[in-house]
Order: sequence, then structure tokens, then C-alpha cells
Amino acid sequence: MLVSWNWLKEYVVLDMPVEALTTRLMMAGFNHEGTSDVEGDIAIDLEVTSNRPDALGHLGVAREIAVLYDRPLKMPLARPAEGKTPVEKLTSVAVECPDLCPRYTARVIRGAKIGASPAWLRRRLATLGLKSINNVVDVTNYVMMECGQPLHAFDLNLLREKRIVVREPKRGEKLVAIDHKTYELEPGMCVIADAERAVGLGGVMGGADSEISDKTTDLLIESAQFAPVSIRNTARRLKLHSPSSHRFERGLDPEGIEWASRRCCELILQVAGGELAAGVIDVGQKPKAREGIVFRHAQLKRMLGIDVDPAEVVRILEALGNRVNRLDAGRLEVVPPSWRADLEREIDLVEEVARIHGYEKIPEDVQVPMAASSKSDEERLIGKIRRAMTAAGYNEAMTLSAVTPALSDAFSPWTGRPPLVAQTPVIENADTLRRSLVPSLLAARQTNESLGNGRIELFEMARVYLPQERFASASNGALPGEELMLSLTSGGDFFAVKGAIEALVEALNPAARLEARDVPSELAPACGLLSPRRAALYLEGELLGLVGEVSADGLSRFDLRNATTVAELKVAVLLKFAQVVTKYQKPPEFPAMVYDVNLKVGEPVRWSAIEKIVRQHGGKHLAGVRFQETYRSQKLVEEGKKKILFQISFRSPAGTLTHEQVNQDHARIVEKCGKELGAELG
Amino acid sequence: MALSQFLSELEALVTAAESAFQSAADAAALETARIEYLGAKSGRIKTVQKGLGGIDKTDKPVAGQRFNEVKARIESAFSAAQERCQNATAAAAVKAVSRKAEKSDAVIPPGAFDPSESPPGCRLHLGRLHPITQTIETLKEIMGRLGFSVADGPEIEDEWHNFQALNIPASHPARDPLENFYLSMAEETSGAGPMLLRSQTSTVQIRVMENRRPPVRIIALGRVYRPDTADATHFPMFHQIEGLLVDRQVTMADLKSVLRMFAMSYFGGEVHIRFRPSFFPFTEPSVEVDMQWHDRWIEMGGAGMVDPNVLRAVGYDPEEFSGFAFGIGIERVCMRRHNLTDIRELYKNDVRFLEQF
Repeated sequence: MLVSWNWLKEYVVLDMPVEALTTRLMMAGFNHEGTSDVEGDIAIDLEVTSNRPDALGHLGVAREIAVLYDRPLKMPLARPAEGKTPVEKLTSVAVECPDLCPRYTARVIRGAKIGASPAWLRRRLATLGLKSINNVVDVTNYVMMECGQPLHAFDLNLLREKRIVVREPKRGEKLVAIDHKTYELEPGMCVIADAERAVGLGGVMGGADSEISDKTTDLLIESAQFAPVSIRNTARRLKLHSPSSHRFERGLDPEGIEWASRRCCELILQVAGGELAAGVIDVGQKPKAREGIVFRHAQLKRMLGIDVDPAEVVRILEALGNRVNRLDAGRLEVVPPSWRADLEREIDLVEEVARIHGYEKIPEDVQVPMAASSKSDEERLIGKIRRAMTAAGYNEAMTLSAVTPALSDAFSPWTGRPPLVAQTPVIENADTLRRSLVPSLLAARQTNESLGNGRIELFEMARVYLPQERFASASNGALPGEELMLSLTSGGDFFAVKGAIEALVEALNPAARLEARDVPSELAPACGLLSPRRAALYLEGELLGLVGEVSADGLSRFDLRNATTVAELKVAVLLKFAQVVTKYQKPPEFPAMVYDVNLKVGEPVRWSAIEKIVRQHGGKHLAGVRFQETYRSQKLVEEGKKKILFQISFRSPAGTLTHEQVNQDHARIVEKCGKELGAELG
Repeated sequence: MALSQFLSELEALVTAAESAFQSAADAAALETARIEYLGAKSGRIKTVQKGLGGIDKTDKPVAGQRFNEVKARIESAFSAAQERCQNATAAAAVKAVSRKAEKSDAVIPPGAFDPSESPPGCRLHLGRLHPITQTIETLKEIMGRLGFSVADGPEIEDEWHNFQALNIPASHPARDPLENFYLSMAEETSGAGPMLLRSQTSTVQIRVMENRRPPVRIIALGRVYRPDTADATHFPMFHQIEGLLVDRQVTMADLKSVLRMFAMSYFGGEVHIRFRPSFFPFTEPSVEVDMQWHDRWIEMGGAGMVDPNVLRAVGYDPEEFSGFAFGIGIERVCMRRHNLTDIRELYKNDVRFLEQF
């Protein structure tokens, strides 16, 4: 909101430097956006928070200055001379939609002479960057900038039947506004009409048909109250934001309506002449008297941590326009002024006192009691996961939670349900809340490829949004599921990424059992992005996630030139089997006895089957089994067969083992593999 | 084939080859890698060379030149690795000898080892944490020292937690559908009421207080969403950290003092705090917080005393308890910390950006 330095001086003495004033105002809640010199005047731009519509006029700002500097505020009286003819004989007002327009007042001036505004008026408006139109329109703008109440002047003789009807629009009704554009009106908007047609949109903009022109002689001055929500919707719907709608949206002083109307007429008589009809047409609710608030002095210390002199408290509250009665030693009854709808409760008054008294008086070095705080297990483990991923050479990415529908459909193993969709896209077409992080990471990979970056190793830890799973929220129905995922994309192959995951799992819990199996049939349809080199990972038998190389088709869908492997893991499963604090295991005292085993098996036999047999029949000294290699070379094995090379180790806590002690175990393993899998020593 | 695609393949090839040569642990592994990349018959470089034939005439000189460069780079990476492996073998031999011998300088003549010599050491690829994560960790750590524990809540919220309980009534402009990311409602959401992506982390305050009696001393942090057009300083998704302390006898002096300790811990020096009055629905009084650092006031965030309506909404008696809350935009802190000027860089995930932190 722009204010003029010279104009403010009409209401309050300004003898301080401009900079001192703007700093003081900033420290009282009006941020200073800038100052500029305008032809002998100074325009000060102040930011007014939405709870302070009273400061959207010079009087409101002057009042703040008067309070801050403890000076009197000079308020114009607004007592225009009235003629004899009663206004009721000249016009009438009917309000058909009191919800949208709780109060409407009209005054009439006849015989005004429309012309250019006097220099003082033009200068005032020029400082605020407002164009001068004519003397009457300028006065309505001037009064709005003085007290915040928007006003409108109609050419009375252009109103059919010379009367006003405030109503909702008729079906298909249109209005040509004073900007000479045509607007289509909709239900819920507040139309100012005459007997036949719309002549304005209440609180938003006037109509072209009834605007003041050089031929105008008789005026109807509107000063009214409109419902903030309706004004906001109308202004947004029609993209018609005006200084008027800006003020009505925030709610105005209900008692100021009458003052503004009188002030406007007073100034019109002064600059355009004419005769003011006697009285006012005033339709709708009269403002209710404000109720008193009990203010306990002790609340200042309780909230602010400092005490304020009771006399100063009374001075501040009274200067802001409150009526203050002393109830007893520690209590006041405070009746806020009509222009401060934001003052409703004791705490609101505490803020007023603090704001004017000055927050700089609150100390910044009090002793705040200590309290224990600790990291949750989850936080610790998530930190561990991040460290493991960076150690594995992955950079942490951060991608948007919403994706395009095409991206969303590319990979969705965790739910078959349609994704959640935002009503407005979060960014260019991305309106779908992601069900997997993988598509986002592949998109990031594509960005990197197009930038010519060679090594693209990314991980992200973020939530996916799963429409099917729900949990009860404390007080209001159920919300969709959100699950934290760890996802990766790498230029390495299946085994490189699987290896990184194995190392991660080992970092979280060296004893946890990680298995790679075929992707189960229920997940397979959602994995179209992946080539056959893929697997479902299980941690202690529970589904942990998926890992796989992206198929050629998948690469081309993401416009990727080079091969990549992706993985997505459920962080909750990682955490479930992780150890926050590991317990010491004594390292083995005696060396292990290691056997290399080379088995020839049929092609369908899986390593996991062999491993299972070894673990089952390895005997009490079995310490470990480790896959090494598979040979398929035709020089070594016939077609349909393969050779699997692996290592078995045996160990005893009692001493170094001899071959004699484990030969039996070794033989049994080979025998069982032969019997159950048809394996023979290679 | 387009020139750009060819060049990109070259780039990928050289990166992969260098990495393979560098990571080869011994001579045998190096030989395998050599065959893969430099093999005379079907090495990958041969395969790429074949692509040269498909390049437009006009682009050929550029493509050919780049190919030769890449080939030279790969070959030099190989010879560097070869040298390294030989040295490793030699070093192992030296070690073996030196174990036996009393002095190792008996084997390596003085001055024969030059540590400044090219090629450089075998460098590991260490991944980096995103700068936002790093900023969050720093802020969390400081607040942890001040006795604040981390609390968490959903990103998809209902109107009660995002608005109503935070003293933002239905008529408030902040609830306008165009100011928020409301979700389109499907059949399954019957009964839950409208849902939206949370516009602030204050929702977590409500969820924590609903389930706990004071004292409450928490921070909440995470992603929040507002329909801002993306530009250098705005992004529709960003991160917030929010602190809440509710107890008997909590005052604005406590708020100022905690924020000062926070700022001093962050900057590691004498910092002063300034409050400017402001307006937020969920606090009363509400202030903007500035901190003075080297004679400059820097905007820190918003704060205030928890509004009695918020305390009542979670079943706390505002006559018995009081509290303060503050919120800080993490992107802003992060950008100032790292001299970033465009918030969009944070979410582009260019590895040349990520690897700087």
C-alpha cells in the first residue's frame, strides 16, 4: 500500500526523518517495501498484512504513527451541508441478496458540475500512482485511499427508474464494466442493478453504462459492505482485481461506511458543487456494538516474558481506538473499535501491546530449561542407509513427488490401483502422485545423459503414495498410505546394483538373510520396464524390493541411450531387520577349512537349491557356503548342463579342523546334491 | 546416427573404460577389461568406431576427431592402469623383500620413487548427500542439542490438520483451492473429506499434540507443497523445518532465546535476534524473525506464540499451557549456505551439481 508523506501530515504531525518513520513502522508490523520521491512528495510503500484492512488507508496508517509517537490524530469531521429535498424522493434501494451485501447506503447530489480535479487532488492521487479521471471519480478514489472504504458514483439519470437493486445475476447476464470489457456473470456474484439491468459488480467494478461523464449532473454515491468471500471469488473468477476488491476481500469497518459516504459528498460538493439531498438511504444490518474483552494484566508477563507499565498499556490500547474501563487492580475491560475486527480476544490485545511497546524489549538471553532429546532408531538407521549409499558411489537425488501420468504408469509394482491425482498440476503436467520413485530417477538420468554426463549413479529416499492402503487419522477419517522407499539407478549391471544392496544390508545387519528370487507373478505385470535380468529381493523372507536391468524398450521409453539398472527397496523392511547398535561377536579363533566344489547339474537346477542342501546337510562344522561361478562353455560341459563352482567352509570353535573331521560332511553334501538334484562332481 | 548420440556414446564409453581400468585389481582383471574395451576383434571401441560410418558427411570431421581423442584417452587410461598394476606387483615384491630385509631402502634406490609423478592415485567415487539433506542434518543436529526431538507426519493431509486445527477457518483465503494442491476425490475416499498435499509442516504439531500431553518439544521437517510458479526463488515443492515447545510458562522471551541459541550454533558466533510483528493464523502474537550477523539483518523465518485456538483444538487448556512455534524454509538456508542463486538447481539432479556438495 502506497502512502503519501504530505497526505499523512494532514492527520498527524510528521517531524521525524522518513527513514526513522519507516523503520518504526516496520518494527510495528508494516514492512517497508520502498520509498520514492514524486514531485515534491514522498511515496512510501508499506506491506499491510491481511488482518489489517484498517491500514489500507491514510487515516489507518496515521493512527499507527500517532500511537507509536504518542501524538494526537486529527480526524476530518465529514459533515456535508444538506439541502431540503429528502433523498427518499429521488431514489430507492432494494437489497435482494443480504448474504452478499449486508449493508448498502446511498446519497444523492444534484447539479454537480463534472470537470477536471483541482491541483491538490490530482497531486494526492499522482503520488499514489493513480490517474486523474474527473473531479467526482477522483473524490471517490481519494476517500478510499483516505479511509479504506471503496465508493462508487453512478450517474443517477442513467439508472433506469433511478433506483438501485442489489441482486445475484440473472441467467446469462453480462456486464460491460468501466474498462469496457464484457464480463459474463455467474451465480454467487453480487450485481448492482437498476430497474432493468446490471450496472456494476458490487465491490469489484462499476459498469460502463452508468459511469460519470461530462454530461452527468446528478450523482448517486454508493457506500456499501460486501461479503469478503463472494468478492474474492468474483474477482478471481473474472480476473478483475481492483483496489476496491482488495479491500472488500479483507473485510472493512462496518461503521466507516457512513463516515466515508459523508466524507465523499463533502468533498464532491467542494470540488464539483451541486446540492446534497437530505438524509441517506441505508438498507441492511446496522453494525453491532462491539463486546468488551476482559484483559488481565498478568497475561503480558505470561506470554511475553516481560511486564509492561499498566499506564502504558492503557495508553496504547486507547490510542489504538479501544475503549478501556478499569475493572479492578489487574483487569481491564477493553472494547475494540469497529475498524479492528482482528481484535477479538485477550491474546489479540496482548499482541497489540507487545507490538507497540516494542519486541526489542523482550530479552534474548533467558535461561530455557534443558530437556533430553534423542535420535529415534529410525533416524539413526536412515542416516546409516544414506552413508552406505554414498560409500557405494551413489549421489543422492531429490525429485518431485508428482509425475506425469505417463511416468506414473511406467512402473508401479506396489499398487495396481490408480494413482492419486492433484486437481492442479504441481509442475507442467505433473499432477500424479508417484507410486514409485523409479520413473523419477530414470527421468533424472535422462536429464544427465542429455547434459553429456558420463557417470550417473543416483539414489533417492522419499515417499510413494499408495491409494489402497489406509490408516486411521486421529480425528478425521482415513488418509492414503505413504511409504518411504529407497531407489537407485546405476550404469552398472544387475550384479553391480545387487552387490550394492547386499553391502547395504550387511551394513545394517551382517546376519540378515537377503535372497534374490524370481519376481512373483503378482508383481510381474507392473515390471514391464525391466528386462529378464531382474529379481525380487527378500530380507529374512519378507519382500524387500525389486532390482533389475531396464529393458531396451524401457530405455527407449525414457529416451535413454545407455544401459541402466534400477532398484526400489522398502525402507520399513530394511529398518525392521536392521540393528541399531550391533553386539560384539568374537572373531573365530581357529582357521576355517575351505573346500572348492565343482558340480555338474542340469540347466534348470538353481543355485538356491544347492545352497539349501548344503546348509541343511552341512553338519555341525559348516561355517559358510559361497557361490563362485557358473560355466556353460561347450568345451567343458555338454548342452543342457552347466557347472557350478562354489566354496564350502567348515570351522570349529574347539580347534583347527582336519580333513578327517569334515570329509564325511563334504561327502554327504555331494551325495545329497546327487540324489536330489542329479548333480555329479565336475 | 545423429552426431549428438554418437558423442554421447563416446562419452559413456570413455567413462566406463576409465572406471573399469581404474578398478582392475590385478593384471588378470586388467587384461579382461582390456579385451572388453580395446580388443582388436570385438572390443567396444571397435563397435563404436563402426558407428562412425553412419554419421552425416558434414558431421564426420568432428565425430572423427572426437573418436580419436576418446581412443587416445582410453589407451592412456589403460597404460596408466597397466603401470599401476606392475607397480603393485613390484611393491608387493618390495614388501615381501622388506619384511625379510631389515631396511627397505636396500631395495628401492634413494630418489627412485617420485610421489608427485603422474598418473594420479586411484580415486574412489564417493557419492554425495543432497545439499538439502545436508542442511536438514545440520539444523536437526543443532535443534537436538537444544532438546528438540524429531516428529513426523503424512504429506497428504486432511483439512482438519492442515487448516481447521491451525485456526484457519473455511472462509480464510489460505484455503482457496487455487492456493493449494487438493487431490481429486475418488470413490474410495468417501468419509475422509477433501485431502491435499500439506502446505506447511505445522500439521505435524497438531498430530503430535493430539496424542501427547505437554511438555512437547519437537521439530518437524519435510516436504511441503504450494502452487507457486517455478522461478529462481520459488518451487512448488520445498522443505520446512518447524519447531514447537509447549509447556507451563513458555514465553516469547524463551522463543527469542532459543532462536538466538539456534542461530549462534549455526553461525558459531555472537548473533542477535529481532522480532518484527507479522500475521499467521496459528500463532498470536506472530512475528517475523531476523538475525543479525556481521552488522546485517538476515530474515530467518516466521514464529510466534501458539494461538489459544490451536491449543484448544488439540485439547490443551490455554490457561494452563503456553507455547511457541517457529518455521524456517530450508531451501533458503541451504541456498545461502552454498551460494546458490536458483532454487530449481536443487531439483534438476545434474550430477555435476550434486557432486559439488
